[in-house]
Parts: sequence; structure tokens; C-alpha cells
Amino acid sequence: MADIKFNEANQKKFEQLLKRYPQKRAAMLPTLWLAQEQYGWLSPEVMTYVGGLLEVPPSKVYEVATFYTMFHLQPVGKYHFQVCRTLSCQLRGAEGITAQLKKRFGIGIGQTSEDGRFTLTEVECLGSCGTAPMLQLNDDYHEDLTEAKLDQLIESLE
Amino acid sequence: MPKLTIDGKEIEVADGTTVFEAARQADISIPHFCYHPKLSIAGNCRMCLVDIEKMPKPAISCNTVANEGMVVNTKTEKVKELQKSVLEFILINHPIDCPVCDQAGECKLQEFYMDYTMTDSEFHEEKVKKPKKVDLGPNVMLDDERCILCSRCIRFCDEITHTSELCFSERGDRSTLTTFPGKQLDNKYSLNTVDICPVGALTSKPFRFQKRVWFLKHVPSVCSGCATGCNIYMDYDDGKVWRYRTRDNESVNQCWTCDAGRLSYPLHNEKRVTRPMVRKNGVLEYSTISDALGEIARALSSLGGDEAVLVGSAQESNENNMALKKFGQTCQIKDLQYSAKPKDDADADNFLIKADKNPNRAGVQHLGYQEFHGGIGVKVVLALEGFSETHLSQLREEGPVAFILLATHLGPETELADVVLPAATFGEQEGSFTNFQNRVQKFEAALIPQGMVLPAWKWLEKIAQELKQPLQLSAEALLQEGFGLKFADLGTEGKILESKN
Repeated sequence: MADIKFNEANQKKFEQLLKRYPQKRAAMLPTLWLAQEQYGWLSPEVMTYVGGLLEVPPSKVYEVATFYTMFHLQPVGKYHFQVCRTLSCQLRGAEGITAQLKKRFGIGIGQTSEDGRFTLTEVECLGSCGTAPMLQLNDDYHEDLTEAKLDQLIESLE
Repeated sequence: MPKLTIDGKEIEVADGTTVFEAARQADISIPHFCYHPKLSIAGNCRMCLVDIEKMPKPAISCNTVANEGMVVNTKTEKVKELQKSVLEFILINHPIDCPVCDQAGECKLQEFYMDYTMTDSEFHEEKVKKPKKVDLGPNVMLDDERCILCSRCIRFCDEITHTSELCFSERGDRSTLTTFPGKQLDNKYSLNTVDICPVGALTSKPFRFQKRVWFLKHVPSVCSGCATGCNIYMDYDDGKVWRYRTRDNESVNQCWTCDAGRLSYPLHNEKRVTRPMVRKNGVLEYSTISDALGEIARALSSLGGDEAVLVGSAQESNENNMALKKFGQTCQIKDLQYSAKPKDDADADNFLIKADKNPNRAGVQHLGYQEFHGGIGVKVVLALEGFSETHLSQLREEGPVAFILLATHLGPETELADVVLPAATFGEQEGSFTNFQNRVQKFEAALIPQGMVLPAWKWLEKIAQELKQPLQLSAEALLQEGFGLKFADLGTEGKILESKN
């Protein structure tokens, strides 16, 4: 594996981040975000690197990274479907959305397709109850979903 | 100096003292899991909740500073209700597998349940399942279901060993004690985490499933692993030592012990010399006591006192070394040397582990022994066990006419010896070691010597008798004569020797 290191842009961002906090370790969450943006997930090597930057033992980075569900401790696919499973979406057919994705990609919840392109997870409320059911694909919301709309969305992906 | 009242007792404490510590000073015990006197305050177990008058909510006593005029209640109905609720909460996901749990019998959770709850759980849902057999490191096994997330072990690794191997992953009911992926709990003091674990989550691999703790009896003793002389309890039963546990001594080991020392207990059980042996035609054979003593007497009486060397041992007690010195005085043998295990600088640290792997070097030196250097023309060597490889090969080269050894264990030393008498370990006799601080520390006898085994000083008495020399010894008298101390003077913390200069 190549050396784990922030690229130039992220290094600059990291240095800016440090200025915001009284202690280095306080910058843990945004630094992990930066690292996840660059590498796609937080491997043990990445967490060790972050620990080194913030002068904390790797085990303390691991504590934080596992506490928050939005940090990935396994690689995720190029397209990460996060289906909301909380009440409003549930009532409006979230289960059907999840089932459709499962069938389409042949994967279970929390799994990634064999070609490494698609990951499916269920998440708690994304604050978009008015447009339920909905999902988040990477950084974008897709709302008022129907079977046809979801098919269309999947077709549009590279 | 705030004055406060706890359960009707008025007490004055130093500024900054917590309510918990104040209660302890007033001999009032408050149940707790996460509090540990040598670790930082975590305040996460909630077991030490107390009721403080005029405060709106119950407070955790471990993290509440005592203030002037505070009125604290630890035993009222209100507090009992709190303790019940906390325990019920802690037990929600606990597997309650006490019948197969090694901690049963010395488990705080079990004890507090009996003391404070004794009610059925109201939790009817399914318990969270977690890994029951996690190989944390070379000496420690983890059962995650039993863990109550008190974080004592994590704080130990952060604050005492500064190795930070342990952490909690995830959150809520999925919180799990673990290590960083691919890393192990592998430090020289890892078994202390087993000691401070209040429940059966962390268990010692060597002790796991070996013995129910309620069968164990214990005596206060001292670890023989190095010159520190960590205070321990020797846990024994069925004529065997089953484990060492750390014993508090603020001036020596606080409340910690290293893994290597703690795991040295099999020395009492394994590879022991149990019968006298005499070398005949080059082969060491079992013999009777009288034959062996006769052989020794023949060897010693055949020559003048300056042709014999008495070799004491930095591995042996003050008393046995003093007995050997007395034997020399009686038989006019003046050459006193001592054997010792070699120093291991690589293993030493500035906490508890010393490079000097001998529990009693200071003791033999105090008695006037010189470190082993051999000597030309020496014909008879009478020695206690404890030779290093180097000293042993030197002895082999010099080839004395007779090498008489009071040995506890079979090994390279007995292979070289001409006569071997079975000697008791420090677990089988009363005695003392002098540690690197010149602190004389007492150990008590846990086991009755098996077979024909006797403490070395008793063998020396018998040898003197065989030589028709009067020698009457006792451990107490030997300590008194050699060190000017009585066992009663040593107490539980030991006694520093006055400097001879």
C-alpha cells in the first residue's frame, strides 16, 4: 500500500482545521472526514496516520471512528445507497425501496456488490420526512421515490 | 478543611477530597465498579450514587468534591433504590453465566447483587450478544458479554503503562472493549487489568478454568522474580500454588505486579527435587537421607576448613543464607560466596521490573557474602541453589572433589552436583527476602513440603549433627542474628535495614 498521507489540498485544509481548536485531538472528527474523503474509508493504516497527526494513540482514533456510523471502517462502493428506514419513510414504503435495491444488486443490507460498485445501507432519519420515501446516494438526496423512479436513477449511473 | 456529615458521622477532610474518599476515611464503604484509587475518575458506572441533602439530584460520590456542611446519606431507602436501579441497568445485557465464570466468588457484580438487589430482572427482551472468547493478548482473555464498561483496564493502559492498547468500539449497548484492529494487549503488566476488572470480563489465560477461587487459601508472600520484591498473595490448595495475586504495598509495588513475576508460581509445583540423591559412578541416584548425609560428612571432614567454600544464594532467603553462614562459623569454613542469576538489563524498566533477577541480593551482601568467584584448590563446595550459567561453567572447570547442593529444582545445577538434598521453596517455609531498597520483607509458608523436602536451614542442622557439631537453628533466630529483626517487626510493609556504615 502506498504511503498514507494527505494530498496537498487536504494537508492545507487540515492545517486550517487545527487553528480552530485549543487542542490537536479536538480536531478528530473533521480530520477523519478529510481522511475518509481522500481514501473512501478509514482503514487501520489511515486511523494510525490520523492518530499520528493529532498525537493520540491509534486506539483512541478507533473509538471515535466506530462511535459514528457515518465513518466507514470497510471500503464502500462507488455508489453508496443509504435508504432511510425511520418512521415516515417506513410508512411510505421504504421497505419496498430496500427490497428493490437488494434484488437489483443481489446484495444484503450492509453489503457491497461483487464488482465493488454498489453498497446498500439502511440509515436513520435523514430529515426529509416530507418527501418520504427517500434515500441518499453518496452526497445527494433522492426523494418521493417510486419503483420506476428508482429504476431510472439506477439506469442513469455509470 | 471542609467538615461534612456522612450517615450521621461528622468528618473533617483535606481540601479537594471527594465524598467517596471522605466516606472511606470514615470507614463507610460505598459500592463502586469504575472508581480505582490509582486511576483517574471516570464516573461511568453510577454505582457510587449517594444522596446529598439540598442537592437536587443524586450525585456520584467518586466525582463530587466534599464541601463544608454537606450532609451525605449512603444508606437511606432513596439510595438503596438508586443502587438497585443501577445494578438492574448494568445487568440488562449481562449473561449471568456465573456457574461457568472464573470470577464467580470474587466478583463485585455478584457481591453487589447479593448485597443490594436480590430481585429478578424486569428485562424480558433479548440480550445483546457479544464475543465470549476474545484473545486479547498473550496473557489475557476477554468475555465481552460480561464487561460492564467501567473502563478501568483502558485507564490502566493509558495512565500506568502508557501503552493505550485498549479502547471501546461502537456505542450504546453495542459498546465493546477491544484493541485497535490487528493489535494486542501485549505489555509487561497486562495481567493487572485482570486484577482490576471488577467482573469476569478479563481473565488470566494461565489461571482460566483451573480452579474455583473459593477453594483457594492464601498467605502473604513476596515475588521472587526480581530485586523489587513485589508483595503478593500466594493462592494455594491441594499442595499446589495456583496463582499469585498482587498485595498492596505503597512503598514497593503500590497495587501492581508484572506479568513475568506473577506467572512464576509454577516454580513451587514443577521439576522439584523430592528425595536426596548421591552420584555413584558418575550417575546421580536416589539415596536415603542417612546415606546422603554420610556422604556429605565424609567429604567435609576429610579436609581443613580452608579447602571448602560455602556458596549462599541471592535466590534464597535471608534465613537460609544466615544458616549457611552459621554453619561456616561452626565448622570453621570462612570462604563465603554467593551465586546469583545474571542481570537482564534489556528487560528492566523504571517501574517495577529490575534488571537484577534475584529477590535477595541485598540480603546475602548484608550477611557478608562475596559474589561467586570460585577459587583454586577448593575441594568441597556446599551450596544453595541459584547458580547462573557462567558461574556453573566456572565451577565445572574448577572441578571440586565434592559439590554438595541443597536444591529445590532439577536442572543444570543438580546435573553437576555430587550430593543433592531436596530443599523447600520459599512457598514452603517462613522467611524473608531483602529487596533492592534494603527492605526486609516477610513471606509465609503456604505449602507443607512434600516427600523428604526440608528448608535448607534444617538440612544444615542435620549436616552439622552428622559432623557432631552443635547447631540449633530456627527461622526467627536466624533473622534476629543476621539482621537484628524479628518477623513481627516486618509487618505487612517490610522494614528497611539500617545502613551498616
